[in-house]
Amino acid sequence: MQLNPFETLADPTRRRIVEALRGGERQVGEIVDQAGIHQSGVSRHLRILHESGFVSVRPDGQRRLYALRPGPFREIDAWLAGYRQLWEARLDRFGAALEKRRRDRGARKKEPRK
Amino acid sequence: MTDTSMSAATETPQAVLVIERTYRARVQELWDLWTTKSGFESWWGPRGFRVEVRALEARVGGALEYDMIADAPDAIAAMKRIGQPVSHFTHGRFAEFEPLERLTPVHMIDFISGVEPYDHTIEVDFHASGDSARMVVTVHPHSDPHWTKMAVEGFQSQLTKLDARFGGPGR
Repeated sequence: MQLNPFETLADPTRRRIVEALRGGERQVGEIVDQAGIHQSGVSRHLRILHESGFVSVRPDGQRRLYALRPGPFREIDAWLAGYRQLWEARLDRFGAALEKRRRDRGARKKEPRK
Repeated sequence: MTDTSMSAATETPQAVLVIERTYRARVQELWDLWTTKSGFESWWGPRGFRVEVRALEARVGGALEYDMIADAPDAIAAMKRIGQPVSHFTHGRFAEFEPLERLTPVHMIDFISGVEPYDHTIEVDFHASGDSARMVVTVHPHSDPHWTKMAVEGFQSQLTKLDARFGGPGR
């Protein structure tokens, strides 16, 4: 099953692996040490991260080196920016409604009493 | 958030959206916009939409029920594009209700076909600061990012047009 970027990173173990890879390329053993997760778990989650495009893998002699790829992070970023924009717009309306209430109240106060 | 054992960096990227605004107003005025019928109707919802409140019970556990109605042509078109009705009944409750301090509206998202109903939580904190009031809104993610993404994209062009008309979002 293909996970979307949010589903991929919804798993705390995978987030810890991503954290471990932020410093650059790592082999599985280094990720195990840094993330404090059992090797079998790391291998399974690395496969999922790889399939989702978050992680690249390249051979280096006997070793396999894992690294982060930017694509899915950009996708998340773009999504969040859109979501933030929606909420910024909503709070713009909040501010405008607040201003209108204040103006209306001010106008009522200035009205001459009959 | 009480659990800080995981660093912020390892938190889910979509975990929360935090928006903070400061207004030259009293906290009471901000609070009224969230907790009274006329206040809530005066601003809630995306641009191009209006709400008609059916029930707003200002207390812990109190109901928050309203119709969300697309009423601008662009918004109507956007809703049709993503296969949603132009008006839907929305209901939720105030999970927390601490007058002039903290409010937690929780909406029941039960109108998306093919998606199990889920709660969507918003936390609002109010702080008085001199002659101003600060409001911090924490929006938790929809559990169905795909739908939210579609919704965002649906509104995007509409927002852009409106922003252009009004000279960009104000503060």
